[in-house]
Amino acid sequence: MDFSASHRGADGKVTGHNYELEVTISGPVSPETGMVLDLKELKDVMEREVEARFDHRSLTDDTPWFKDRPATPENFAAVIFELLEKALPAGTLYRVRLHPTPDVYVEVTR
Amino acid sequence: MIRIVQRFAFSAAHVLARGDWPAERNRAVYGKCANPAGHGHNYGVEVAVEGEVDAGSGRILPEGRLEELVRTRVLDELDQTLLNRDVPAFASTVPTAENIARHIWDTLDGHLAPARLVAIRLVETRNNSVEYAGGGAV
Repeated sequence: MDFSASHRGADGKVTGHNYELEVTISGPVSPETGMVLDLKELKDVMEREVEARFDHRSLTDDTPWFKDRPATPENFAAVIFELLEKALPAGTLYRVRLHPTPDVYVEVTR
Repeated sequence: MIRIVQRFAFSAAHVLARGDWPAERNRAVYGKCANPAGHGHNYGVEVAVEGEVDAGSGRILPEGRLEELVRTRVLDELDQTLLNRDVPAFASTVPTAENIARHIWDTLDGHLAPARLVAIRLVETRNNSVEYAGGGAV
């Protein structure tokens, strides 16, 4: 998933990124559906938990998560992991990779 | 624990041939890569580090530290060189992708505190890459 957001640094300067988010889930394949998780469900959760909250917003000004910690890629990836972990079926979220630019990503693994 | 993977790039030439082997054997083992004229690649280097996020800065390494280390310790040494001739580590070691990855690991390992190096991935062409996570054998 791609989305765009800005953030304000400690010095007051505002910057922004086109973020790319990769989400990996793992778990047993349901004998009934042949899937670990319906990708439609994963997409819905990502849109609700991430895109709706952060896309075209200021991480520092428009959301409550970066009032007491800087909106670094590390902290942002950790917030996204927590939000998705709560919203997805228990134990299915395996890994979140957040690319703030094409040449770097931050990874949080279960 | 959080992992950061950052990608860098350099260009270099190499010849895959051992000086202590006859030409026929180098040719048999390394194929066209043994041609004495050498050939070059646009290499990609992916450096993976892990660490604890500093509560104050929100980062596992100070801003710019990884870029600075990779530039001064790795890219400045390897970029726009003939690896066999210009890089001491490859004076008597064949600069295969495996050996280049291991050399980059050895060059960076121990210099990334308070984070730690966990893997080097060397991308030689779009179809082949090597990953090294330390520990000796590639």
